[in-house]
Amino acid sequence: MRPAGHALLTAILLATAAGAASAPAVTHYVLDAPKSSLEFTFQQAGAQNKGKFTRFAVSFDFSPDNLAASRLDVTVEIGSLDTGDQERDDTLHGADLFAVAKFPQAHFAASQFNKTAGGYEAIGKLTIRGVTRDTRVPFTFRTADEHGVAVGYMSGKTTVRRLDFGVGQGEWKATDQVGNEVGVSFALRLTPTATAH
Amino acid sequence: MVMRNTTHRWGAVAQLLHWLIVVLIIVQVTLAALAGDLPLGMKKLAMLARHKSVGLTILGLAMVRLGWRQLNPTPALPQTLKPYERTLARFTHAMLYVLLFAMPLSGWMMSSARGFPVSWFGFFQLPDLVPKSQPLYHALVTTHQSLAVLLGAVVTLHVAAALKHHYVLRDDVLQRMLPLSTTTQGTRR
Repeated sequence: MRPAGHALLTAILLATAAGAASAPAVTHYVLDAPKSSLEFTFQQAGAQNKGKFTRFAVSFDFSPDNLAASRLDVTVEIGSLDTGDQERDDTLHGADLFAVAKFPQAHFAASQFNKTAGGYEAIGKLTIRGVTRDTRVPFTFRTADEHGVAVGYMSGKTTVRRLDFGVGQGEWKATDQVGNEVGVSFALRLTPTATAH
Repeated sequence: MVMRNTTHRWGAVAQLLHWLIVVLIIVQVTLAALAGDLPLGMKKLAMLARHKSVGLTILGLAMVRLGWRQLNPTPALPQTLKPYERTLARFTHAMLYVLLFAMPLSGWMMSSARGFPVSWFGFFQLPDLVPKSQPLYHALVTTHQSLAVLLGAVVTLHVAAALKHHYVLRDDVLQRMLPLSTTTQGTRR
């Protein structure tokens, strides 16, 4: 091998090694539940209705500069759903809709992240009512210095088709009174705990 | 058939509005009765959605009707009526107009208070009239139901009076609200 080629190869190897070594550590975030929200909107009888989940857990390992090592894990207690109407909530808990007794939690786990024009995109698996589907969730993320702590703010919204997950059996399969598309939006306050690696 | 009212007879527009609202009120009572017995499910949602849409339609028609009434002469009551009968007739008609507004508005407020927004046949969504509130919702349910009972009573009086005019007094009060009737004025002896 000619010296010039050898030098080039060395340079590439060194650069790669340096790149790997300097890959920024991801930060581990946990949810500040009282200051976070997970809401949904749905069409009922032609009108837009709202609801929210009051209990959910988030584990987020993230660095904008190291998306490869970033991880998101969200667990939602379906029983905590609140549409502002007890009768409706009870109906949603029932076997034909969320079947909370059998499937108490929904879960989203993502290990692939992309930078997008407006922010980021988490690509992972969403499980609701025992059905798992590949799902992309766009989000924005920023940190704010609060008393010397770099607090993370994550927000976004996506659309979930309830029938893809079997949320709607029997008569609830019809979409004329209750729409198939459910808008899900989240605004999370995330506090850093430790540097993962 | 004349579109506008005369001092003796209701025109086609007033008649159409009157009878259309009669039909829609019958639909409303039927839907409310059928939905009332159902558990929360698709059928109930569908019926209540229709009940709300038809109610809003009645509200719209009531506004058109009141407007049309202002722009037209009102056929005079027969000369033969006693003063208390005139007062009663005016009161009954005023009550019917008030209820044509109060029924849909109380229903709309009821939905808003429960946190179930109202749409008109799925074409557009209406704003909430009152904030979501459980006590307010229960109060409005009572209001809506009481107004329905009151409407039933006033309608009964209204129909009884129309039949009395037709069969007992034998004047044209009923006929002048009927589309195919040819009587133009006075009594029909």
